[in-house]
Amino acid sequence: MYQNEGYVRYRILRIVVLGIGAVILMRLFAMQILDDGYDERATQNMLRTEVEYPMRGEVLDRNGEYLVKSRVCYDVMVVYRELPKEGFDTLRLMTILDMSKEGLMKRLKEASRSPRAATLVVGYLSQEGKLLLDEGGFSGFHTRFRTAREYPRKIGGNLLGYVSEITQGQLQRSEYDYYEAGDYIGTQGVESAYETLLRGEKGVSYRIYDSHGAVQGSYNDGADDVQPVKGAQLTSTIDACLQEFAEQMMEGKIGSVVAIEPSTGEILVMVSSPTYNPDLMVGRARSSNYASMLHDQRQPQFNRAVKAKYPPGSTFKLVQGLIGLQEGTLRPGDRYPCNNGYTYGTRKMGCHPHKSPLDLRDAVAQSCNAYFCYVFKDMITNAKYGNVKEGVRVWNDYVYSFGFGRRLGTDLYGEGAGYVPTPEYYDRGYNGRWNWGTVLSCSIGQGEMGCTPLQMANLAAIVANRGYYYVPHLIKKIEGRDSIDRRFYERHYTMVDSVNFVPIVDGMWRSVNVSGTSRTAYLEGLDVCGKTGTAQNPLGADHSTFLSFAPKDNPKIAISVYVEHGGFGSAIAVPIASLIEELYLTDTIRRPELLERVLNFQPNYKHYDEKQRKYDAERQKKNEKR
Amino acid sequence: MISDYNISRHKGGNALFGSIDKVALGLYALIVIIGVFCITSASYDPDNGSIFSLSHNYMKQIVWVVISWTMAIVVLLLDRRLFHMFAYPAYILGIMALLAALFFGREVNGAKAWFELGGMRIQPVEFVKIATALMMARVMSDYVFNINRITDLFKVAGVILLPLGIIVLQNDTGSGLVLGAFLFVLYREGLSKYIYFPIIFTIVLFVVSFIFSPVVIFTALLVLFTLYSALKTGAIAGHARFLCCVLLVALLLALLTPLSGYVSLMIACGVAAVMLAAVALKTRTMMLLWPILMFVYAMLFVPTTDVLFSHLEEHQKNRILTFVGLVDDPRGVGYNVNQSQIAIGSGGMWGKGFMEGTQIKYDFVPEKHTDFIFCIVGEEQGFFGAFIVVALYLALILRLMRMGERIKEPFGRVYCYSVAAILLLHVLVNVGMTIGIMPVMGIPLPLMSYGGSSLVAFTLLIMIAIRLDASTSDNDIYA
Repeated sequence: MYQNEGYVRYRILRIVVLGIGAVILMRLFAMQILDDGYDERATQNMLRTEVEYPMRGEVLDRNGEYLVKSRVCYDVMVVYRELPKEGFDTLRLMTILDMSKEGLMKRLKEASRSPRAATLVVGYLSQEGKLLLDEGGFSGFHTRFRTAREYPRKIGGNLLGYVSEITQGQLQRSEYDYYEAGDYIGTQGVESAYETLLRGEKGVSYRIYDSHGAVQGSYNDGADDVQPVKGAQLTSTIDACLQEFAEQMMEGKIGSVVAIEPSTGEILVMVSSPTYNPDLMVGRARSSNYASMLHDQRQPQFNRAVKAKYPPGSTFKLVQGLIGLQEGTLRPGDRYPCNNGYTYGTRKMGCHPHKSPLDLRDAVAQSCNAYFCYVFKDMITNAKYGNVKEGVRVWNDYVYSFGFGRRLGTDLYGEGAGYVPTPEYYDRGYNGRWNWGTVLSCSIGQGEMGCTPLQMANLAAIVANRGYYYVPHLIKKIEGRDSIDRRFYERHYTMVDSVNFVPIVDGMWRSVNVSGTSRTAYLEGLDVCGKTGTAQNPLGADHSTFLSFAPKDNPKIAISVYVEHGGFGSAIAVPIASLIEELYLTDTIRRPELLERVLNFQPNYKHYDEKQRKYDAERQKKNEKR
Repeated sequence: MISDYNISRHKGGNALFGSIDKVALGLYALIVIIGVFCITSASYDPDNGSIFSLSHNYMKQIVWVVISWTMAIVVLLLDRRLFHMFAYPAYILGIMALLAALFFGREVNGAKAWFELGGMRIQPVEFVKIATALMMARVMSDYVFNINRITDLFKVAGVILLPLGIIVLQNDTGSGLVLGAFLFVLYREGLSKYIYFPIIFTIVLFVVSFIFSPVVIFTALLVLFTLYSALKTGAIAGHARFLCCVLLVALLLALLTPLSGYVSLMIACGVAAVMLAAVALKTRTMMLLWPILMFVYAMLFVPTTDVLFSHLEEHQKNRILTFVGLVDDPRGVGYNVNQSQIAIGSGGMWGKGFMEGTQIKYDFVPEKHTDFIFCIVGEEQGFFGAFIVVALYLALILRLMRMGERIKEPFGRVYCYSVAAILLLHVLVNVGMTIGIMPVMGIPLPLMSYGGSSLVAFTLLIMIAIRLDASTSDNDIYA
């Protein structure tokens, strides 16, 4: 009986044992065969994707000299969780990273909020610094490859732009899909316009890590890795030497210098003054430098050369003359009287004293206001248009064909369109009741006209070419490509025939070489042509401007200089343009006294200073409130 | 006695070898060899000395295998009666060793349960298992022993609880749990099944009380027990009425008085239980008393789990909470289990190959060569390997049980069953822990986990069983 009972219990226990075995095996089956999730998690455990950053492309000037260089530097990152519990040699780390204790602690505290993520401690660690850091064996700290910019000549701040970390706002937009938080992106200037070429392509490497965070090798023998592609080297159209010279001359002045090679549209010089040393936008002091520029009311970060809307002043008379000739409302021999100006109704457009009457050539050379009032009035009031409104419309089309009032389609960052008033504009402003007298100030490039210095330089190139232009551009060669964009090889003709340019060019030549407003620009044997401008403005002294090209035949350089509140065109704009032409065409400066005069010339910028004072006072008030 | 001794000696080694259970021996050897391979995979480091350098864990383990097998031969050559004779001294020695470890031992992972001898750690509890098994066999094979007699039951309880008490004091709860394996043996030896119901019931209640709220548990139990009683007595309509009444009273109490739902249910159930008990006693339908008693027990036990729980150590609390899924902390307490499950789960059908397991190789599984050694099989040999290893253990356990049945004397049977039960509990808890169906308890996988004292102790444990089984035609052991 007992034996029997025992045997029953043996069998029950056997079932218990087998039951336990079955539970274990079922669970194993579920985990190993049915559930695929573990596989993925095992891979996630050991694999880490690492982005490999390429070197950013460099920029050369037209003669092969470095405008922008790249240098290797490192971001120092920390993963808080991987920091040793027993602490580390803080003092040594502070020395290597060149950080204060407070700074370091602040960053570590920030990192502790997301202990698993790699958080930036400090950027721009040199290669030597990285070696020291690696040798120090600071676990939890590692470096990320970066490229920092260097500027051998410290020129072209606005022109070249800078590189900065991508913003949160940008990251949310789809066109920035390529980027991740912390990536660098070209901002403004060439850096922005050619970003996709300069940045290269990021690579990816898959590495195996053990549970202690130590690298154990590459995954799949690196078969899935993608090598980074170095950014393309760009060759700029800028002449570094000329650019530096122009920047020096513009120092202390507000305005712009743009020089173009007429036969190609290549931009030789582009100065927006005040400019800044591009090195200020690199390194750890970047943000404070940036802030101080932001508070500067002279706006060093504002690229006047392509964005500012200046009244072109008398330089615009060239356009008026050309339109009149093309429309047949003006013949080169037409003479108009000038009685110290032009009187219409109760108003009078003043002029400076010169002999009268003048023909077109001399009117250009002497820059007679009255003459071009006649020219403009005759054109827009011509009976063939029916009314003034239609006349202005035709005039508009001509002006647009010269590249005014619209973007030229350059490769420049933030190119502005300027402004050309249209009949609709006057309809709105004058309730439809306006006549030729209302628009007359346009005749001498005043009033509503707004042009960028680039557009004015382009006008110089058009006249130099006798009727066409190439879209001005800043980059002439891209590493790895045969050509630049097609649009830069196309001639754009104006609506004015080339034959009509002859008297205008002649007038410009006479202005420099015979008698006129541009005599200072005379250079022996170079046949410089030029047209001055003196633009009135409500803020202070007149803007001084000069439009020029040289030589007269087969021109090599077309230039526009604009100096805010510089006075007469001949006062400062003419010498600056002339010195640049001299240096570019002869490689020497034979008029040191003229250069001296230019360097010492200081326009009166009291309204800027006033603005700055007000702004600073307001900021201080705000700060005090806080 | 002398003549018996002579007979066994005259039979000589060949006869002894012929009567040894080769299946058990083979299973034992296979598991040990698989274990060595696993440890090799866990600890092989090509940069660290030659393959045979003793600095490698697997070489150390091989040395221990050699020692173990030498001891196994010695055990197999010993006279069977020695084990019967040495049961008392071994037990006393074991208890003294435990006490010595408690007072003079070394603390490892919070448990003061280790001796350190010349750089080697020994856990006396490994050997106490053998001593207790022998002692159990000795006590329960007494002529006049009857397990269902209360004095004898106390005797057995004493044999188990004495070492258990010391182990708990050592703060080595996991090892203490192993002694619970003897419940398995006691069942085989005829202990009333009614003892097991409350034990299983308590364990279930304890786990369930963490997952469900008391109201849910009580309602479920109430329905279950009423159903049981209804089916047992056949009075289904009456039980249904009763159930409705209790629930209605509870609902009314909860709605009309400021008492909480939980308290209302307790009161309703309490009153119902007292009334039922009175009816049961009056009509002498004892069948009803069991569910009522268990229900009352549950009512008393569930609220106290919180109190019990609060007396646990922090790491034990965390382990339980993680286990029942109340705390999900893959980087903290759950880290080990999480990583071990990833290792096993990612093994798939055939595994990643010997020494190719990424979880093992790159150190994501902690304690991979000791407590979590099963992960190596699971990850590198897949379901195929894991199945084989589990099957080998089950086969060995079943073989030991069969050997126990084969032995005529209760001494051998009780001992074999003890070994089987100890192995079963170890495998269940250890493998269960690596696959997340058991809370984490630091007990090794027998014969496979790295560690000399564990391997030697399990070898001795099993070899004694094999020796007791061998030549069962001998005269009985009590001579």
